[in-house]
Amino acid sequence: MGKGVWPFVVAGFGIALLVWGSTWGLAFAPREAYMGEVQRIMYVHVPTAWNTMLVLTFAFVCALVSLLRGGWTWDARLEAAIEAGVVLSALVCMQGSIWARPTWGVWWDWDPRLTTTAVLLFAFGGILALRQFVDDPVKRAVWSSVAVVIAYVDVPLVYFSVRWWNSLHQLQSTPETVSRAFHWPLRINAFGVLFLLIGLVELRARLAFLRREAESAPPPVRVAEALGGAPPPYGGLATGGKR
Amino acid sequence: MSGAPGGVIQGGWEFVIAAYVASAVILLGYAFSVFWRYRRARSRRDGAR
Repeated sequence: MGKGVWPFVVAGFGIALLVWGSTWGLAFAPREAYMGEVQRIMYVHVPTAWNTMLVLTFAFVCALVSLLRGGWTWDARLEAAIEAGVVLSALVCMQGSIWARPTWGVWWDWDPRLTTTAVLLFAFGGILALRQFVDDPVKRAVWSSVAVVIAYVDVPLVYFSVRWWNSLHQLQSTPETVSRAFHWPLRINAFGVLFLLIGLVELRARLAFLRREAESAPPPVRVAEALGGAPPPYGGLATGGKR
Repeated sequence: MSGAPGGVIQGGWEFVIAAYVASAVILLGYAFSVFWRYRRARSRRDGAR
């Protein structure tokens, strides 16, 4: 298998897992005692929520590495992770809204968990828009990395919102609080979304890198260098501009 | 979909189907969008060489 093919294979494997897990969840998993059939939304909603947190954490790591080390590879990964995080945040809000209607009686409520998740969507959506509007690739890399580090503060707020404040949303489920009959479709779909995400983030990063090549500008400088520090080595990439 | 005495939700398949269809459309739509943009960028780069 060629090096360039693996993201397609991994994404395809993720889709196959999602088909398997969803079929299990819809057709073979038992009905929940109180929520009835509606609980089956859990098999897509919870894996989406977990992977949203995961990909935004990856974006945070990419932003830090991009700021500290420079180079276009981490900037391309950052762009890919932000975009995937925005798509998953939008999806998790949509799934949650559909689940909220039959269980809470409303499509949306300004509850702490929902509000912090909406903030996540708009914050990272704004950073994605920022990247489209900034023409200078060095400024784009540095500004969006700083913005991601700031916006990431909301991720632990989303996670702990149900513990810190009164919330309509239930607390995080654990294997001890979820019936064993529900475990497998949940886990299969969680890995399905994860594998799909790995393949898509890698392809999206390659796309960002191709665009960057087309712009043919020097790589972003490290923060220390931008502030007048010593110029760092760039691992073979050509540097340009003022030092 | 309706609530029954005892707080047990009856029915609700329409919400389940809506959630799964929305998930499939968004995930597959995004996957297709990434594949398509990547192929286009690669063919543009190969054409420029």
